[in-house]
Amino acid sequence: MNRFPRWFGKTTLFAALSLGTVALHAQEVVVSAAASLTNAFQAVGQAFEKTRPGAKVTFNFAASGPLLAQIQQGAPVDVFASADQETMDRAAKANLLAEGTRADFARNTLVLIVPATAATVPQKLADLGGTGFKRISTGTPSSVPVGRYTMASVQEAGLTAALEPKWIYGESVRQVLNYVARNEVDAGFVYRTDALIEKDKTRIALTVPTTTPVSYPIAQIAASKNVALGKEFVAFVRSDTGQQILEGFGFSKP
Amino acid sequence: MLTPLWLTLKIALLATLLAGAAGIALGWWMSQRRFPGKSIADAIVMLPMVLPPTVLGYYLIVVIGRNGVLGQYLERWFGINLMFTWQGAVIAASLVSLPLIYKAARAAFEDVDGRFLHAARTLGAGEFEIFVRVALPLAVRGITAGLMLAFARAMGEFGATLMIAGNLPGKTQTLSIAIYDAVQAGNDAQALWLTLVISVVCVVVLVVSGRMLQAKH
Amino acid sequence: MAPILDIHVQTTLESPGRSFALDARFTSTTARTALIGASGSGKSTVLMAIAGLAPRVRGHVRIAGTTLLDTDHAVDLPARARRVGLVFQDYALFPHMTVEQNLAFGLCRLGQRPSEADRVRIDVLSRQFDLETLRGAWPRHLSGGQRQRVALARALAPQPHLLLLDEPLSALDTTLRIRLRAELAEMLERVQVPTLLVTHDPSDVEALAQSVVQLDDGAVRGPGFTAP
Repeated sequence: MNRFPRWFGKTTLFAALSLGTVALHAQEVVVSAAASLTNAFQAVGQAFEKTRPGAKVTFNFAASGPLLAQIQQGAPVDVFASADQETMDRAAKANLLAEGTRADFARNTLVLIVPATAATVPQKLADLGGTGFKRISTGTPSSVPVGRYTMASVQEAGLTAALEPKWIYGESVRQVLNYVARNEVDAGFVYRTDALIEKDKTRIALTVPTTTPVSYPIAQIAASKNVALGKEFVAFVRSDTGQQILEGFGFSKP
Repeated sequence: MLTPLWLTLKIALLATLLAGAAGIALGWWMSQRRFPGKSIADAIVMLPMVLPPTVLGYYLIVVIGRNGVLGQYLERWFGINLMFTWQGAVIAASLVSLPLIYKAARAAFEDVDGRFLHAARTLGAGEFEIFVRVALPLAVRGITAGLMLAFARAMGEFGATLMIAGNLPGKTQTLSIAIYDAVQAGNDAQALWLTLVISVVCVVVLVVSGRMLQAKH
Repeated sequence: MAPILDIHVQTTLESPGRSFALDARFTSTTARTALIGASGSGKSTVLMAIAGLAPRVRGHVRIAGTTLLDTDHAVDLPARARRVGLVFQDYALFPHMTVEQNLAFGLCRLGQRPSEADRVRIDVLSRQFDLETLRGAWPRHLSGGQRQRVALARALAPQPHLLLLDEPLSALDTTLRIRLRAELAEMLERVQVPTLLVTHDPSDVEALAQSVVQLDDGAVRGPGFTAP
């Protein structure tokens, strides 16, 4: 006596096989990347998934400092890309990185931007000391790389005291960009790649020389559970294809 | 190291006063009136309590941001810009505290026996006088408990405050934001210390207000 | 001569699921009138309507010729302007004020200090109602009878045109009631203010009133008649 319709058995078998197949091939790699990499890495991730069918890249974008804090607290991250060497150095010191996987993969430029509707555009950094600039934004130096680059450059230019009361800190470089785009601040320090995102609402006033190059390192996390796929992703970022995508967004070679 | 504490206390105190005045007035007004749509009006006042802090923060930006509905006039006519100021933080904190005071005040006023108010009316008192001489003194316990809860809530305000007032050490970096900052920077010792400070203050406030609510009954 | 009480009050009380219609029309030519009726007949509502404390009342209220309410002629004085003294069933003494402060409440308004005349009035009332030793006392420390005296004195302090008593003795136990009924009768005789008292107790009517109006389910039954 067969209580089940004939198609039932076939369907169940098919479903089981498909699920099993998916389980075998579906791999996920978790990438924590600096906020400035948001648009570029999303494009890189899509391209990567095309070359590796079945692979899935999950991104976690925020300022480099908070990302490191998360990894320290045990967040299941496979790959970490920060916006400065200092954050990666801290990660290395805390023994969070997989041996020999660290490499620089891109460079960026620090720029000073103002709202598109701004009346005055600074010609040089010292202009920020003037009364026309009451609020200037950059990232929180203790946790956001762009803030550190900015403060070093400001100090180099001898403007630390003059600009000290004017700072408005953003939680990430994207928040700084947002403040300028919304005209909440008179000027802001972001990366060139970010300025290009808000072309309509902001304009680049000048390129800011930095005391150290704005260099982006990438590395695999020691506690990663997806070592093979993580390695492939890092390799992809450093490959010609990956580099081309990054350049398309305004990044330069490492 | 303790600047965020004084800043937090200052902001919370002012926010409680601001929300207190509005909440008590609204609570009294709503306790005395019945009109169609009253429950909707009630829900609107309670809204800041259930809205996600980011939503509240966004609405605040839309209203008092530099290009905001009110903000643009504030800047144009008075040269006042509330973004990134502790005054902006006070407004954010008042908004989240308002529902707490309103709820407590309205309940306290509704608890006052209507006959006292009637007696006062027959003795020649107008509505404002009744509020001051009869209703308020009889509702003071419940209202104070509400104020204390509001103070504790204002002290912990984070999301909306961060969006409006930003994170400016010494100017708008409240205890909650300082803790967030410390965690972001991997500074655990600092985070722990600040957390303990705010926890102790909040516990004290809650214990005292709890006692006041109990004593009433 | 105008009747002392010329009342016609109509209103509807809504509560969830119930609707109570009141239509009480009566006059009285005596100084002290009793309004009787079963529980739920609307007696207290009549008092509230006369005092101006009930919403949406139609009709007229005239006390010895003075009009407090006349909806046909758009006259509707707010409660605070009607000069009607009201003594509640449980006295409703302000618990956060002393006896003296309760007495003074009707005499001076917010921000005002009691005048010399006010102080004299409080002295007189304290003597009249035997409250001199209780002036600094708190209502929660007073006995039922003492509270009744304070409530009466408070209502009479601003020299109202009409005194309304809502079941003045029902909050007391039987023995006390008998004693205080006599005291109340004597006090009402002294004060000489037109009085309307609500009660369901026939003994009250006997001792305290000179005429009776009967309220039955929100309507007045029959003309007022004079008690023997």
